[in-house]
Amino acid sequence: MNFEISLIWESLPKIAEGAELTVRLHLLSLVFGTVLALGLVLMRISGIAILSWPAFAYIYVFRGTPLLVQVFLIYYGLAQFEFIRASPLWIILREPFWCAIIAFSLNVAAYTAEILRGGIQGVDQGLHEAGRALGLSTSQRFIHVTAPIAIRLSLPAYGNEMISLMKGTALVSLITMYDITGVARTIMARTFAPYEIFISAAIVYLGLTWLIQRAIAHAERRFSRYVRA
Amino acid sequence: MGVVVEWLNAFLWGALVILGVFFVALVLTVVWGLIGATAKLSNSTVARGIANAYTTALRGTPELLVLLIVYFGSAVTLTSLAKFVDPSVKFVHIPPFWAGSFAISLIVGAYATETFRGAFLGVDRGQIEAARSLGLSPFQTLFYVRLPQMWRLALPAFGNHMNSLIKDTALLSVIGVEEIMYTADRATTITNKPFTMYLVVAIIYLAFVSVIIKTVALLEIHANRYLARAR
Repeated sequence: MNFEISLIWESLPKIAEGAELTVRLHLLSLVFGTVLALGLVLMRISGIAILSWPAFAYIYVFRGTPLLVQVFLIYYGLAQFEFIRASPLWIILREPFWCAIIAFSLNVAAYTAEILRGGIQGVDQGLHEAGRALGLSTSQRFIHVTAPIAIRLSLPAYGNEMISLMKGTALVSLITMYDITGVARTIMARTFAPYEIFISAAIVYLGLTWLIQRAIAHAERRFSRYVRA
Repeated sequence: MGVVVEWLNAFLWGALVILGVFFVALVLTVVWGLIGATAKLSNSTVARGIANAYTTALRGTPELLVLLIVYFGSAVTLTSLAKFVDPSVKFVHIPPFWAGSFAISLIVGAYATETFRGAFLGVDRGQIEAARSLGLSPFQTLFYVRLPQMWRLALPAFGNHMNSLIKDTALLSVIGVEEIMYTADRATTITNKPFTMYLVVAIIYLAFVSVIIKTVALLEIHANRYLARAR
C-alpha cells in the first residue's frame, strides 16, 4: 500500500465543490430549525399542558431517533402515501434537497429547543422579580430581561449543535446527493484510495467546523460584552 | 400493520445486532475515553498533543466519513499486507460488525475523553494528596480514589454519549452490517411500504434510547445515594 499525498491535492478542489451544497443545506436547515425551536421552547415553557406536552413529545421523539432514520422516513417514506404523491406538495417532497432540509430542520429544532430551555432556566430568578418590581409586563420581561441573558447562556451549546448539524449533512450522500461526502464517495469508487480521498473530505469538514467555532466565539464575546468584570 | 408482523423476526435479529454493536462499542468507548483523558491530564506534551489531535479530528468529522475511513481504510491496509505474504490474495477486510463497532467507539470516545477529563478534574485534589500520604501507589489511587469518585460526575454526560452510540448504529447498514436499517430496506423492496418499515426502525431506536435514559437516571440516584442526605 502506498499513501499518495498528491492524490489529496488532486481531489481536494473537486471535493471542495461539494462544500457548496453542504453549506447551503447547513445554513437553510439552521435558520428553519432555529425559528421552529423558538416556537417549540415557548410551548414547552408555557405551563399550559396542551401546549407543553406536544412540545415535550416532539423533542423526545426527534432526539431519541437517529437522524438517518428521520431523513429516510421523509425521503423514502412519504412516497408510500398516495395522497401525498397526488398533492401539490409533491413537487417539493420528491426532491432529495428539500427532504433533507425538512428532516434536518425538524431535528435541529428539537435539540435547539432543549438548549434554549436550559438557557432560559439558567436566568437568575431575581432578575424576574426586579423586572416585575419595575412594572414590566410578562412579555416585556421575557423580551428585555430573560431572552438576552438566555441567548448568552445558550450560545456554547448552540455552537455544538451547529457543528453536529454540519456533520449530519453528510447523510445526504445516502439519498443521492453530491455534498462533500457524496463527491468523496464517487472519487473513492473510481480510485479505491480510501485514506487519501476520505481524509481530504475530512480536512474540508474540519475547515468548516473551525469557521463555525470562530463565529460562535465571536458571538459569545459580543453577547457577554457587559458581563466581563 | 399486518405487513410488519411478517418482518418482526427479521427486525428482532437486526435489533440484536445493534445491541451487540452497542455493547462492544461501549466497552471500547470507555477505554478510549480513559486513555484520552489520562493523556490530556498528563505532563507529557506529546501525549497531550496526540489526545488533542484525536478529539479535534474525531469531533469535527462526520460520523459517516469516519465509518467509511475505518472500514475501507482497514480493508486496503489488510489487503496489501496479505498480498505481501501471499500474492494470490484478492481482498481482505475486517468484518463490518467489528469495523463498525470500532469506528463508532472512536467517535464517541472523543466525546468521552472530554467528559472524563472534566470528571477527573472534578475530584478534589485533597483526596489525591490524602491517598498519597497514606502510601497508595498512583495506580491504587486511580482505582480506589479517583475512579470511584469521577464516574458519578461523568454519568449525566456519559448518558448522552450512550444515546449517541446507539443512534450511530443506524449508519452501519452502509458498510453492510445486517441491522434494522438493512431489514427495513429489504422489507421495503418487497412490501413497498417504506414509511411503515422505517417507522418500525424509529420505534425500536426510541425504545432503546428510553431504556438508556431510565437506566442512567437510576444509576445517578445510586451514585449520589450518600450525597442525597448530606445536601
